[in-house]
Amino acid sequence: MNFLRSPRAIPYLLLLPAILVILAVILLPLLVSLWSSLTPYVLTRPASLYQFVGFRNYERLWGNSDFWWAFLRTLVFVTVALNLEMVLGLGLAMLVNQITWGQRTIRTIMMFPMMFSPILVGFLFKYLLNDSIGFVNNALYSLGLITDPVPWLVDGTLANLSIIAAEVWMSTSVFAILLLAGLMAIPAEPLEAARVDGCNGWQVFRHVTLPFLMPFIYIAMTIRSLDVARAYDMIRIMTNGGPAGRTEMLWTLIARVGYQNSQMGSANAMGYVSILLSIIFTFYFYRKLADARAFMGGAQ
Amino acid sequence: MAKRILVTALLAAGALTGLTGLAHADFDYGKFPGYTLKVKLIGGTQYEHLYTRIPEWEKLTGAKVDIVSSKNYFDLDKEIKQDIASGQITYCLASNHTSFAPQYGDMYIDMKPLIPADELAKYVPGTLAASEIDGKLVQLPRVTDISNIYYRKSLYADKANQAAYKAKFGKDLAPPETYDDLKNQIIFFAKPPNLYGTAFAGKDEGATGRFMEILRANGGDMFDKNWKPTFNSPEGVAALQWFKDIYDAKAVPAGTVNYGWDEIGQAMAAGQLAVDLDWPGFAGFYSDPTKSKIADDLGFAEAPVGTSGHHGGWSGSHSFSVTSACDNKPAAVSLAVFLTNDDSEMMEAQAGNMPTRSAVFDKVVKWFKANKKPALAAMYPIWEKSLDEARTPPLIPQWIEVSNVVWPQLQAAIVGQTDPKTALDKAAADATQIMQDAGLLKQ
Repeated sequence: MNFLRSPRAIPYLLLLPAILVILAVILLPLLVSLWSSLTPYVLTRPASLYQFVGFRNYERLWGNSDFWWAFLRTLVFVTVALNLEMVLGLGLAMLVNQITWGQRTIRTIMMFPMMFSPILVGFLFKYLLNDSIGFVNNALYSLGLITDPVPWLVDGTLANLSIIAAEVWMSTSVFAILLLAGLMAIPAEPLEAARVDGCNGWQVFRHVTLPFLMPFIYIAMTIRSLDVARAYDMIRIMTNGGPAGRTEMLWTLIARVGYQNSQMGSANAMGYVSILLSIIFTFYFYRKLADARAFMGGAQ
Repeated sequence: MAKRILVTALLAAGALTGLTGLAHADFDYGKFPGYTLKVKLIGGTQYEHLYTRIPEWEKLTGAKVDIVSSKNYFDLDKEIKQDIASGQITYCLASNHTSFAPQYGDMYIDMKPLIPADELAKYVPGTLAASEIDGKLVQLPRVTDISNIYYRKSLYADKANQAAYKAKFGKDLAPPETYDDLKNQIIFFAKPPNLYGTAFAGKDEGATGRFMEILRANGGDMFDKNWKPTFNSPEGVAALQWFKDIYDAKAVPAGTVNYGWDEIGQAMAAGQLAVDLDWPGFAGFYSDPTKSKIADDLGFAEAPVGTSGHHGGWSGSHSFSVTSACDNKPAAVSLAVFLTNDDSEMMEAQAGNMPTRSAVFDKVVKWFKANKKPALAAMYPIWEKSLDEARTPPLIPQWIEVSNVVWPQLQAAIVGQTDPKTALDKAAADATQIMQDAGLLKQ
């Protein structure tokens, strides 16, 4: 009681409303979903939420090869899509940074794909890549490049590449915008000093620009690694995880189990195991971010 | 959304008064002055047309209708499940579907005690029976779905095609009577990439349903009477092989395994398919020359029979249900009956949907003839006849969940990732676990 009245309590008291809100909107749902993952909770039978079955949902997951394939596929998808977006976004940012006239317009145009809802992007790519009435096949056919339609969304490799292409199209500009902000924040002196010392373009980029940009890259990577989850809507529309599970990701699987099958207990168990993936990515990028900042500190 | 529907409704109300008249003479819709009925209705152009009749019911009964939610079926289903989970069922009437209804447990009431038997007798008997779950009429059917054959008349009338088909199969070229005929014709007509024999729904419940239809036509079924999955029977393998054969022959677009109804409809209307086994809702679209390239070339035939000599008859109905939590059930039932009475059904039928009231079939055919829509006039008698062998999917809460373990395996076999028997055995094993977990099948 005395502590509450002491000046030392003031910061805690001031933070209390924020802490309460965070507990209510983040911790509580997390705890409820953790609990439900230990029950056979079916959405349409609310009473099943109070039936404890221990780790049965997790044990079943352990032997569920479909889930582990989806886990692995998601890991590959996030890795490939993130790296592609980063490289393309960096290239785009460097190019836009060179522009002296109309840069603002270009920046705005660059943001267009971000403004589309992922569902729309899904429909867009689904119809572009439709094997019989799609634009891509019709164009290739008219140009005489193919004689048989290419099954873009059926073949295992092509379907995954198509989804990656749609994701990259939609989100590369996020990287580009963040990295452009980084490029604009680089002071001119180190760049000029490097040039005076005889560095060529590549050397300036490799040893001055890139180290300055690394914190921006890792922050963008961290945000995007969590955000690629938005691709759920897109994949749901383009293939819904099919055919034959070839494009099944964690999110399509979890949504189907949780909402269509109403097996929320099982879906939450999958959700908790998949959180591992997010933790791994976040942990890795934060460590890299800390390293990059330490390096910058040393360089300065 | 609700506002928009109501505004449209008010605008259209004047135009519709001519339609009404007879139907409310025999059912007492009651008086509920000052009462506001909350409803959750399926949204989308083809469904919202009917809601323009709501102001008429409001005038008749003195009640008001508040549309608290209007979404497509899959989102509405998700929302209703969330309502059940959170105990927030604050509305009286909701759109439903025979395939979804079993999942909702006792959320909806049995309407039989609240509707006179002579009123119920006006519905198509088979359609009404399929709306019951465990003997309870939990929904009033609004529109029925059953699929039959749409075909391109010119392809069948072509002399060269007729001669070539006769030479190859020893039969006259005519709309298919059996699934074997259909398969032969699909492969025979296919000249990819400009013309495919057909396309089929390759994912979600659409894929499972089509498979179930051929399985049943072959004399098999999804479950035995003890709810043991039996779709991996020889009849099931033959049904799956049917899809695989036309896929391997490249007589269907390779992407068909990812197709839903929309893509199939678009392909047929674009003149890319020779035949299409599909829902009645497409008739209006296919026969509309402004949207379809095949409007003048459209033929109709009843769906083929399988090796058992019967039709598969996969059928389902869009419907209205009244919640157990409703504080004024007579008002909700009154609206449900109003929205499915002869006048409402006539409105649905004029838009090209299959009505659920027997009297409407003859009336609408006359109306189509009088309004110069001969294609639709020709279609209705065929579709009505097919209702004789209409069958819904198993009316159990686990149907969608079982479907979700079946269709990925169907895809795996069709694209050649595994053989049909192995695929169906895997799906049956998964389905067995679902049925055991649900307590329907004893271990």
